[in-house]
Amino acid sequence: MKALRRSHTSNSSSSSPSSSSTMSSWIHLRSLLIVASSPVPDRGSLKSPWSRRKRKRALTRHQWYSFFTPEGKLRDGGLKFLKKVRSGGVDPSIRAEVWPFLLGVYNLNSSRAERNAVRQQKRKEYEKLRRRCRRLLKLSNEGDKELKEIVQVSYAESPIFIEGHESPGSEDVFSARESPSVDRGSPVDGGTEQPSRDETSASNSCNVEEEDKSGITHVNDASAGETESSDTESSTEDEPESDLMYSAAEGNMETDPKYIKITSIKGDNPKSSRTAEDYATWQRIIRLDAIRANVEWVIYSPAQALVSEDKALKSAVAVGLKDYDHLEPCRIYHAARLVAILEAYALYDPEIGYCQGMSDLLSPILAVMEEDYEAFWCFVGFMRKARHNFRLDEVGIRRQLNIVSKIIKSKDLHLFRHLEKLQAEDCFFVYRMVVVLFRRELTFEQTVCLWEVMWADQAAIRAGIGKSAWGRIRLRAPPTEDLLLYAIAACVLQRRKLIIETYSSMDEIIRACNNMAGQLDVWKLLDDAHDLVVTLHDKIE
Amino acid sequence: MSYAYLFKYIIIGDTGVGKSCLLLQFTDKRFQPVHDLTIGVEFGARMITIDNKPIKLQIWDTAGQESFRSITRSYYRGAAGALLVYDITRRETFNHLANWLEDARQHANANMTIMLIGNKCDLSHRRAVSTEEGEQFAKEHGLVFMEASAKTAQNVEEAFISTAATIYKKIQDGVFDVSNESYGIKVGYGGIPGPSGGRDGTSSQAGGCCS
Repeated sequence: MKALRRSHTSNSSSSSPSSSSTMSSWIHLRSLLIVASSPVPDRGSLKSPWSRRKRKRALTRHQWYSFFTPEGKLRDGGLKFLKKVRSGGVDPSIRAEVWPFLLGVYNLNSSRAERNAVRQQKRKEYEKLRRRCRRLLKLSNEGDKELKEIVQVSYAESPIFIEGHESPGSEDVFSARESPSVDRGSPVDGGTEQPSRDETSASNSCNVEEEDKSGITHVNDASAGETESSDTESSTEDEPESDLMYSAAEGNMETDPKYIKITSIKGDNPKSSRTAEDYATWQRIIRLDAIRANVEWVIYSPAQALVSEDKALKSAVAVGLKDYDHLEPCRIYHAARLVAILEAYALYDPEIGYCQGMSDLLSPILAVMEEDYEAFWCFVGFMRKARHNFRLDEVGIRRQLNIVSKIIKSKDLHLFRHLEKLQAEDCFFVYRMVVVLFRRELTFEQTVCLWEVMWADQAAIRAGIGKSAWGRIRLRAPPTEDLLLYAIAACVLQRRKLIIETYSSMDEIIRACNNMAGQLDVWKLLDDAHDLVVTLHDKIE
Repeated sequence: MSYAYLFKYIIIGDTGVGKSCLLLQFTDKRFQPVHDLTIGVEFGARMITIDNKPIKLQIWDTAGQESFRSITRSYYRGAAGALLVYDITRRETFNHLANWLEDARQHANANMTIMLIGNKCDLSHRRAVSTEEGEQFAKEHGLVFMEASAKTAQNVEEAFISTAATIYKKIQDGVFDVSNESYGIKVGYGGIPGPSGGRDGTSSQAGGCCS
């Protein structure tokens, strides 16, 4: 049915990418066409019944600035801004400014002055995490055997977090810092929120506020919180990483192993088949992964691509990078930044720590954000949802595969039955797409566009912009937390014929999925995904 | 492409030991110095010839980190052969072999053929595990052992092919019920009974993703 519709409309839209090509659908869709559609030319060859929603122009610098009041507040709580990003992504030249809003580092309602204060605060917090990383690295380099036992983080079901960087004693500036239990409906500088549980996952339905009641593990991290000497902090916070290395003066409590002990309540009994990885393992794997990071970002980030050899080597030494002799300076620099931020994240969110694939998610953020602390907090914002992909118990992954399966079943029972026959109805074959959010299947630019659209949806939900508001205004597909999953389902549905007629085992489907790289069009995918959201979101969510 | 038998392999071992590079060298005869880390599982295939019979190797390449272990585990079942890989320049990857082996023994079928590979033997100046240690470990655990280099291709063909030869021998010896696909062996059209006839040649290659 769908295929028929598609071939039918393709005739009318093949010749011209302009809005006139969709004339035949206008009647049904006039509510969507307040803004004239003018797709980017290279998308013009794509046909779909939803071609009227082909990519609008990306958010431009001019538009972006025009959204702000003189005090630097986004008008209408950012609604117009999010709508714009949702339909066309963001112009590359302003990504570094826009992403912190999309990722909840800045509140959509914040003023310029408030953001400046947040920025200062975030910078300090990040520096503090980095100082701890350096101390831990120093310990492990010294071969301190205790380290393994001391910084052991277990994968108990109960969430663990480090109290230090959120401790009441250290809060001073901004509201989110005063309440780790920020209501998800009103994002107040969400980047400082503790990572919240997955709302839709049954076993983790508590929000951050509830964690304390549910047997939350407390971390005896005397080092990072109120006990840290403020002298030490103020004297070091502005120094670049390379100058800070292993300064003996930093010593005091933080280098004493007993203060970096992270304990956890193992009440929920981590399954015996899993061996917990410790921080030392993460340190090692992060370094291995950093030097083999994808290098596609280089052309999108000329300033970083031209980093001097001297700077690159310094940054490598500062984070203790290894085996990088074969890499060009820009790759060394990128790898060193990956290490710095991933390590800091592992301390910030020790329940997740480091898991392979996280570097795939961080790398594009690094390419866009020149400052490490900004990149870190954007990554934290990204991980608020994506962290569930990296849980050792795989609850997050399974939930998502389940939703993809449900979407396919609801949309195309015939295909679903075929998958059942191949014992592939669990949709395991889209595993990689789920884990690294299409990063391996799409190009750098396509991936980033998809993420921006997805982030805009998630930001709208965080800001409490409900379905009704979107309906009233223009877009029929309401914002969803799971746009990615609709896009993945769309991607599978686009190949239904091939799957049904050609593939006779799940192995073949996995292979096909893994070989999709370079063959997908992100805007077509998003068109189809939105189509699915329109028709199915009530059933699925 | 027709084959006498299809053997399913799995490649396991710590992250960064060169599993994907070994596979790429075997299927495509090339080396990629910076290879994307593997998320979940990836796939490769190639035709080889043993005893004048075309045999298709279907190889699952797995992610090395613990977090992906339970996905990896689902691939042990249905594998006839496993390449257990460590990096001769990183001691810890050798130290973890026992864990991998335990995992394999627990989740794979008992007759799975396991080949131990000490990879990166081109980096002998950085060697952290001696050949003798590798041999010793293999001997203790009843594994076939080779040192190899995905970079120079040394012993790569040999590793995959001698594993296949061992499996083939087990078939000849009647160890497997080849009609039961859970052993990771599939009988092709050109296969049994008797010689396949037409096809011959040494290790004929069918590209990275033949089907």
